[in-house]
Amino acid sequence: MEAIVDNLIVGFSVAFQPGVLLYAFLGCLVGTLVGILPGIGPLAGISILLPATYGLDATKAIVMLAGIYYGSQYGGSTTSILMRIPGEAASVMTCIDGHAMARKGRAGAALAIAAVGSFVAGTFGVVLLTVVAPPLADFALRFGPPEYSALLVLGLVFLAYMSSTSLMRTLLMAAAGLLLGCIGIDVMTGHFRYSFDIKELGDGIGIVPVAVGLFGLGEILSTPAKTVTDKVAAPRLSELMPNREEWRQSAAPIARGSVLGFLVGIVPGSAHIIASFLSYAVEKRVSKTPEEFGKGAVAGVAGPESANNAASTGAFVPMLALGLPTGPVTAVLMAALLIKGIAPGPQLVTEHPQVFWGFIASMYVGNLMLLALNLPLVGLFVSVLRIPYAYLYPLIIVLCIVGVYLVNNSIVDVWIMLIMGVVGYFLRKLEFDPAPLVLGLVIAPTFELSLRQSLVMSNGNWAIFFSGQRPIAAALFAVSGALLALAALSWLSRKDWRRGLPEES
Amino acid sequence: MNLRRDHAAGGAFIVAGAFVLAVSGDLPFGTLASPGAGMLPRLLATLMMVFGLALVLRAGTSPPLAELNWSDLPHAVRVGVLAVAAVVAFEPLGFAVTTALLLFVLIFWVERSPLLPALGFSIAAPLVVYVLFSVLLRTPLPRGLLGF
Repeated sequence: MEAIVDNLIVGFSVAFQPGVLLYAFLGCLVGTLVGILPGIGPLAGISILLPATYGLDATKAIVMLAGIYYGSQYGGSTTSILMRIPGEAASVMTCIDGHAMARKGRAGAALAIAAVGSFVAGTFGVVLLTVVAPPLADFALRFGPPEYSALLVLGLVFLAYMSSTSLMRTLLMAAAGLLLGCIGIDVMTGHFRYSFDIKELGDGIGIVPVAVGLFGLGEILSTPAKTVTDKVAAPRLSELMPNREEWRQSAAPIARGSVLGFLVGIVPGSAHIIASFLSYAVEKRVSKTPEEFGKGAVAGVAGPESANNAASTGAFVPMLALGLPTGPVTAVLMAALLIKGIAPGPQLVTEHPQVFWGFIASMYVGNLMLLALNLPLVGLFVSVLRIPYAYLYPLIIVLCIVGVYLVNNSIVDVWIMLIMGVVGYFLRKLEFDPAPLVLGLVIAPTFELSLRQSLVMSNGNWAIFFSGQRPIAAALFAVSGALLALAALSWLSRKDWRRGLPEES
Repeated sequence: MNLRRDHAAGGAFIVAGAFVLAVSGDLPFGTLASPGAGMLPRLLATLMMVFGLALVLRAGTSPPLAELNWSDLPHAVRVGVLAVAAVVAFEPLGFAVTTALLLFVLIFWVERSPLLPALGFSIAAPLVVYVLFSVLLRTPLPRGLLGF
């Protein structure tokens, strides 16, 4: 514990540097805007702004991008409560009771409860992240290629099990992503794979053009301007304070949502969406007045909003400690660190303590900033919603093109983004969630390398993954097998728990 | 046969998997003790075809393809074609000219917005983006024939 406190002091000395504070603030501000605006999810926001971090050091870059991620969870509630449109998918549950509260003239109270719940859950998540991540990273230092292969397989299987679409669709997307990740020079043999004489493909397909295409351009192509409304009224500052009864009703749901959200966040999948759904279901189940849900129940706002923020923080645990992205957002954040020459994973704590602890400390500060930003400035943020979508989406297309081009100054990357945009449009039509594709693309190089190294180590004996000499790998594969069996049973019996979940934005 | 959504989706993945297998001819598969560059891609392409086939076999429960809502397709095609044109022009014409034209055509022609606001926004927005990226963040954008 003493070591954690010492390291946190180091972290805060980094987080309180004026430059880091500035970029944390910028990340929170942009994240709030990204969360507020329908049609731009956190993934598209982070991907488009990734090139803006190239001139920054690794700490500032990751602090800013993470700020966009958890800031978007705060911002999403504003649009949900005031307009009944989820700014991003995790805010869907907030629409129900948040907007019902707004119709009763309690919009200010709903916004305040959402912001305070988000703050409490976000801070609680960071405290747990502080305690859990370093020992987990220590443990992961025992991992060799077979364990990493097993861990990555488990990550994909967990994603398939927890994803918001069906098992077969998720596996198809993951396989497609892994295949895209095979494009380029094979690091073990030097063979060019599927580059079709395009020299830019020798380095492989970048995550940024794929993510921006699928989630940025793809979303725009499937959202005609006339479907986006811009009628909204902001509450006055004086209306923001919940009354005593509302505070009392929100306390326990915030606590439950924080714990539930963090636990769900650690698991790969659409964690923040699932966390908010689970929290809503739990609150309705434990409530003495379940009939109030849907008519403006305070717990229906406090629980899900807390849960999705805690889940966003929980998702950083496997990313930082194991180098395992649990979703496309953490995958892009990992890519941002890799661009800076820093590999997230067990060595991050020991080799780059300034980055690791500076990042964690900045999240404490970021959550405070978001609380300060989201309540007093709600009127200002709402005015952004009055920008007509017919002006907004062309600007987003320009930012997509510029953002992707600047990654490598490569027009080929922009073409890839365009192709992925079209692919993303059709994937949405056919009800595929593109997130596993991005995840597959990110983990493909590590997965292939560790798989092949394992086979070379064992002289071609598959038993290396299941033998008693490798108990961690065997246990991880056993969990994967059990999950796959459960998911297959559910798919075959057509009783899929995912029905009713929204599409991720 | 009534073509359903998952027939199309599964079929597309089977074709994609077959294409990958077809172009993997020159990549060595290797052995288990010494896996080649073609091993994982071939395994993945095969898996993709199997999963695609599973989707096709269970397609009966999915909605008919003709019943999917394609009302946004004309808008998507217009936006997509203009984005392609912008990418073609991006390096030869430069950032400022290309993006100003793209914004104007999208806002004025596609979205039927009033001329003056569309014109003002199409000139101002690229300037702001240019200052942000090229001046403040010092990341060079293509200047093109006109030098900016």
